[in-house]
Amino acid sequence: MTMATQQIAATRNDAGRTDGAHLGFGRVLRSETIKFTSLLSTLILVLATMAVLVGFGALGAWGIGTSLEAVGPEVFEAEGGLDGIANTLAGTGITFAQLIIGSLAVLVISSEFATGSARATFSAVPKRYPVFLAKALLVAVVSFVAAAASMLLAAVAINPIVEHYGLVQDMGSEDFQRMLWIGSLYVTAVALIGFSLGALLRNSAGGIVSLAGLFFVLPIAFQLIPGDFIADLRRFLPSEAANQLISGTTGPEMLELWQSWLVFGAWAAIPLAVAGFVLQRRDI
Amino acid sequence: MIQAHSLAKSYGPKRAVDGVTFTVQPGKVTGFLGPNGAGKSTTMRMAMGLDRPTSGTVTVNGKALAEHRAPLREVGALLEAKSVHKSRTARAHLSALAATHGIGRARVDEVIGITGLGAVAGKKVGGFSLGMGQRLGIAAALLGDPQTLILDEPVNGLDPEGVLWVRNLARSLAAEGRTVFLSSHLMSEMAQTADHLIVIGRGSILADAPIGEILAARNRTRTLVRTEQPADLANALAAPGVGVTALDAETLEVLGVDAKTIARRALDHRILIHELTPLQVSLEEAYLELTKDDVEYHSAGTGAVPVAGKQA
Repeated sequence: MTMATQQIAATRNDAGRTDGAHLGFGRVLRSETIKFTSLLSTLILVLATMAVLVGFGALGAWGIGTSLEAVGPEVFEAEGGLDGIANTLAGTGITFAQLIIGSLAVLVISSEFATGSARATFSAVPKRYPVFLAKALLVAVVSFVAAAASMLLAAVAINPIVEHYGLVQDMGSEDFQRMLWIGSLYVTAVALIGFSLGALLRNSAGGIVSLAGLFFVLPIAFQLIPGDFIADLRRFLPSEAANQLISGTTGPEMLELWQSWLVFGAWAAIPLAVAGFVLQRRDI
Repeated sequence: MIQAHSLAKSYGPKRAVDGVTFTVQPGKVTGFLGPNGAGKSTTMRMAMGLDRPTSGTVTVNGKALAEHRAPLREVGALLEAKSVHKSRTARAHLSALAATHGIGRARVDEVIGITGLGAVAGKKVGGFSLGMGQRLGIAAALLGDPQTLILDEPVNGLDPEGVLWVRNLARSLAAEGRTVFLSSHLMSEMAQTADHLIVIGRGSILADAPIGEILAARNRTRTLVRTEQPADLANALAAPGVGVTALDAETLEVLGVDAKTIARRALDHRILIHELTPLQVSLEEAYLELTKDDVEYHSAGTGAVPVAGKQA
């Protein structure tokens, strides 16, 4: 009986520590931030993104430098000149960075289901959509900032290499700015697609493999399959649309820029909308 | 208070919960008893808004949980042990849940203290024993100081001290006027913790009564009697410890007297009886009978059912 009495004192909330407690989107966002930052794997994946962008940037700079020394500037002049050739080196690793950040985005939601923590999460927030929106917002901000910061870091890190070979990297150039901002937006879109796949499949491995399939296998497969229809279809892949936007070029075989923006936006928005709708309807 | 009305859930052709209606009242411990697979967890998940009912409704404190402004203050639930990311610490898990409602660190520390997790709060949950996982689940359920608690098999994996602790906790929470709804597949566990029992088998409610009534019915002889003079027979049988219930104009259910005594009294009072049926099936027997087809592992030969809880 004494034990029970003690527990009555202990469970009763005399101090009023839960007074005024209620849900709010800012609070759900804070909860998701705590979850995001309390896992070591998150930090490792963000650092890996930085390492990949800096590392591939340096490799790219070194590669151009050595070939410049080997064949001489004349060969480069023939292919459009040395002007601006160093301006997009900082984004060399973006193809790999997108997959790392995309995998992180898959995990942000698939791990809730894999570990069963979704039960606790959605018991606390039974409306569900605030959790989905908070996670999506967190994924978008983290992936954009991680990509942009990594490319800036890469640019700073490779500058000595570039200068060593007598090249100029102009961070104010249009090429650099387009790569930085559109490239970061692209990584963000990839992350949101990964997040949507994670929410739909509720399985970490499945989500990551699907994401890799969409960005690595499909573009290559489309290139190998003959036929105009497939070639037309290829332009609507998210990676192709983004490539065009980053390079800023148009041509007879390409979409208009605004069309590419539309394709690009649709690839981010539609899976997200479907995933949100399914999460709202389906049993946890 | 939890109210379920014609609540049903189907998974494909399988009907896990088949139109149950019940009310779980505040101020007492209500046991939810049934074999594994009877629909206990599904019912609880629907109450928590995790599973969508196929039909019917379930409300907690008058509303669907999603309509409450502060769900954690309305209901805390332990649904399955270790509903936690393995690589996260116990404290981070609780802090993240608390943050959704703006509940501060002081309350997080408090529930860690109540559940005795102080020493392991900074450790990753992946290394927790089943018992520690249960304690963490209970800590999460208590976080919002909720009016209603839903605990699915809370004593699973606990050592005897832990079992006693959960029992005392459930009783003290109910004594504070809270609604405590806890499930078990063991009759013996319920007998020691619950004030009221809701028995479920294959998705349907088999019994919904105070535990005293259920135990009384279980321990005493029940006999079905048909007579044209039910009132006279009731008078003839009246004695302390004897209960007579009229089922219809000619049928009585008699508790606490055996069939032979009833026949003798009827003869003494010249009352004609045209049916006298001993009802041997108690609640537990009915429960075990249902259980028999649903348990995963039958013990060979004896016909004894492995989940049979020994009644102390």
